[in-house]
Amino acid sequence: MNMTRKNSIRKPMRAEKKEALTAMVFIAPWVVGFLVFTLYPILSSLYYSMTNYNVLNSPSFIGFENYINLLKDKVYLKSLTNTLYMIVIGGTITIIVSLIVSIIMDNRKLRGISLFRVFFFMPTLVPTVIACVLWIWMLQPTTGVVNTLLGYLGITGPGWIASPTWSKPAMILMMIWACGNIIIVNMAGLQDIPQSMYESASIDGANFFQKVRTITIPLLRPVILYNSVTLIINILQWFAEPLIMTEGGPDSSTLFYSLYLYQNAFQFFKMGYASAMAWIMLIIALALIIFLLKFLKFGESE
Amino acid sequence: MKKRIFALLICVLMISSLIAGCGQSNTNKPADGTAAPDKTAEKTADASGELSGTFTYWSCFSGDSMIWDQGRVDSFNAENPNVKCEVQFVTDSAGINNGKLLAAIAGGNAPDLIIADDYSSAYSYAANGSFESWEPYLEFTGLSLDDFIKGYQDVMYYDGVPYLIPQDGNALMLYYNVDMFKEAGLDPNNPPTTLAQLDEYADKLSVKDASGNYTTFGYIPWLDSGNDAFVWPFFFGNNVYDQETKKLTITEQNVVDTYEWMRTYAQKYNPEKIQAFVSGAGGMFSPDHPFMTGKVAMTLTGNWFTNALRIYAPDVNYKVAPVPVPAGGRANSTTVNANVFGIPKGAKNPELAAYFLKYAMQPAVNATNFDEWRSVPTIDAAFDEISWTKAGDEIYLMERKLVNSPDSGMPALCKVSAQLSVDINALRDNVIYNNADPLPLLQALQDKMQAELDK
Amino acid sequence: MAVIAAVSQYGTVGGIYMRGVAKLHRKMKRSKLAGNIETAILYLILIAVSILFVIPFLWLLFGSFKEGSELFRAPFRWLPDRIQFDNYKQMFTAIPFLKYLKNTLIIVFFNIVGSTVSSSFVAYGFARLHWPLRNKVFMIVLATMVLPFQVTMIPLFIMYTNWGWIGTFLPLTVTCFFGNPFFIFLFRQFFVGLPKELTYAARVDGANEFRIYSTIIMPLAKPCITTVAIFAFMRTWNDFIGPLVFLADDDLYTLSLAAQLLRSNLDPRWHILLALGVVMVMPVLIVFFLMQKYFIQGVAMSGIKE
Repeated sequence: MNMTRKNSIRKPMRAEKKEALTAMVFIAPWVVGFLVFTLYPILSSLYYSMTNYNVLNSPSFIGFENYINLLKDKVYLKSLTNTLYMIVIGGTITIIVSLIVSIIMDNRKLRGISLFRVFFFMPTLVPTVIACVLWIWMLQPTTGVVNTLLGYLGITGPGWIASPTWSKPAMILMMIWACGNIIIVNMAGLQDIPQSMYESASIDGANFFQKVRTITIPLLRPVILYNSVTLIINILQWFAEPLIMTEGGPDSSTLFYSLYLYQNAFQFFKMGYASAMAWIMLIIALALIIFLLKFLKFGESE
Repeated sequence: MKKRIFALLICVLMISSLIAGCGQSNTNKPADGTAAPDKTAEKTADASGELSGTFTYWSCFSGDSMIWDQGRVDSFNAENPNVKCEVQFVTDSAGINNGKLLAAIAGGNAPDLIIADDYSSAYSYAANGSFESWEPYLEFTGLSLDDFIKGYQDVMYYDGVPYLIPQDGNALMLYYNVDMFKEAGLDPNNPPTTLAQLDEYADKLSVKDASGNYTTFGYIPWLDSGNDAFVWPFFFGNNVYDQETKKLTITEQNVVDTYEWMRTYAQKYNPEKIQAFVSGAGGMFSPDHPFMTGKVAMTLTGNWFTNALRIYAPDVNYKVAPVPVPAGGRANSTTVNANVFGIPKGAKNPELAAYFLKYAMQPAVNATNFDEWRSVPTIDAAFDEISWTKAGDEIYLMERKLVNSPDSGMPALCKVSAQLSVDINALRDNVIYNNADPLPLLQALQDKMQAELDK
Repeated sequence: MAVIAAVSQYGTVGGIYMRGVAKLHRKMKRSKLAGNIETAILYLILIAVSILFVIPFLWLLFGSFKEGSELFRAPFRWLPDRIQFDNYKQMFTAIPFLKYLKNTLIIVFFNIVGSTVSSSFVAYGFARLHWPLRNKVFMIVLATMVLPFQVTMIPLFIMYTNWGWIGTFLPLTVTCFFGNPFFIFLFRQFFVGLPKELTYAARVDGANEFRIYSTIIMPLAKPCITTVAIFAFMRTWNDFIGPLVFLADDDLYTLSLAAQLLRSNLDPRWHILLALGVVMVMPVLIVFFLMQKYFIQGVAMSGIKE
């Protein structure tokens, strides 16, 4: 028996109210959790950011002094530029590399793709500390794999994490290694693009690159947006890797935002200062996301 | 019916997770069923002055030292049936450098005793009010603080109050490779004694290959203990912080000279290439340390390195010498890196903590520690009991002299030393990698940190 | 969308395969030689890149069987001189491995249960019920996914300190009983895809929403539950900053902190660390191999906009 309701029939008011109340019960756990573990801490964080607080004594209110001092703090500005470098350069490279790999893997003529997919996804399964240890070894200037491989090509590899200029590129290598998540999402999105579009473009005489530019990228925009946002949030929170591998050096080249925040909060007795940093981080995250939304919307037209 | 079972299941899981969470913490407090009543009994000594109860002890040690400290606690517990010590090994200098200790103190469940290997950060904690004074409990320790070697005294007191008691110390020395000395035509029995000589020897000991790349560096100022924030400024004669005037002194000439001196090395050799060449993943305790593999001929590090050499590079022919210094610097002395005991603020059993010290500071108890690492005791008389002294070990005799020198001590002990050491190393990196001028940077750093101090 | 249909019918691998076969037939008609060269080049690129991705795992595996002194020897050699299991044996003594394993498993268990139950429960409210402002509130849920951990880390730390939770498992287990935005999102996407007829029929029969949730929707959600459970497992097994900040008592340390302990400054035990690394990576790898379908389904579902 078919008992489908039509959408045009409105439920009586009481039933609507009942449904709404029931829904409240269902989402109650999230609401409680949100208020206690998310909203309250965010607001506290705002309060602490306007105080001097060393945890042992009560916080003392100082208004916007922390924020003003942050803008004058050369070390803070360095951590900011380091992190922005990673986002802009590292993030862009990672997105591009993962796009290239996913487009190649999307080629229907290739078989065994699922095996390759496993290989690319594996690095994301490794615990942080172990991954750092592996990369410290791989990046050893004289005995490490990376420089040995470069040696086969006749290039003398640089000092990587021992060098102020090459430490961030070394971190970018790590980032690319762990981009398996992004590749998988890209591939799923590529699946949705109908082959017929490519075929009609071929008939029109388009070559591979033109097809990618006019069909693939525009249709993949929501996916690229999602990946970029997640990647940016990830990079902003990067903290364990620099802590374990370089402690922010050499020459503060890997002093990233979250690492400096952690140092201030847990080593320098400056919780208020660190909270101010956290709030600025939140604002930067929001700004970057809004920028991305605009940027990718006004991109190539369909 | 199903819905109720379901809801019940959720509640049970939530509650059990709460219990599991709480239950875990309780297993570490005295859980022998007499927890609550014992607390009041713990504080009072009974008629015969005997202490009893349980106390918690956070130890910073790892590796072999951890095994040693565990053994120490075990024998303490065995010999004292009424007092029980519960030890936990907490990284990052007993939770000082990662905020754990701070959290524990703020949360009211601080351990009763800690031992930290980062004396500088421990001192800044003391200066910020995180420790209790040892004064009321000294009688339980059986120690007389005035007997301690003068080099230790700096770290023990803040504003005249003793907050930290050293367990033992380490001396810094110049290690040099005898075979390389001979190859370079230098006399191994005549190590460099002045800074100028150090530079000269370093030059002679550096070896290039056919393509002009260095295969050996004579000396690298920022390797090993030279990398620690205030070691070289100390040897150049500066204290970094003046306890009397309460002012930082990093813009004084000898500090500027320190970094100018390092700069000359950076200009002569390429610092990036140096780092690439000598960096090893293993650190000091693995066979790829540059002194062990012959990549550097001399290095500045502590007595603990003799142990590493013994294990990983027994074939390296080396000797040690006091650290060479420029004119006006501290000749024949050392920074006395100490492991320090402290009682965190709000500890519930400070008397028991103090009582543990009485046991722990006995020469016999520390014997294995000294034997393995060649570390030095806190009282000069104790040297005579130690096997190295009795065996006439040259290195150890030198350590004794260095530690007893009136110039030995510890630099940069102040409220903000944690941040100061991070910042000054960043300054050094700036100087050596970017050929920056030290004086303006030092001035800026001094202004910034002095403002913090004066708050 | 087509892929969801294919995925839900065959699983991702199957779905891709089915469509791939159809395409293959069509492609066969094109020029063979040019196609072959192109294919060969693509394969080469893929193989080269995947080798680079996999090399660290090989070193991890081989290294765990080497003696400590062999690890950093120059010149570099792949295989150990002789295979020895000493590192694994030492792993049990150097750190309280079994205790840390137990701790990690406890946290993982509560996380899996808490996440699946609470997130599905909350998602039901967003997916199968209608109420004013529903979509706007859901936006807020999504927005919290974007929140960097550092923003709430300090106040949470102070809060937990005041409650006496630091030094227990509570900070790492209780929060997952309140729904996790990412999992809520996954469940919600899944629930929205289930036919409305199911619930309407049950409502007409007089069942209340809890009943519908527990007896009709959840049994159907098994693939999604599995996906979420796998994600929750992975997240917690490898979690480092959570235990680092919130666990103070070394009796409660997890395996990821154990790795940090072994790495301590004065005496890093690299050989044991590698053995621990293999042990930590193995379960996740095995779970991944067996459950590849769910993994990829979950990751894919999160990126595709409806």
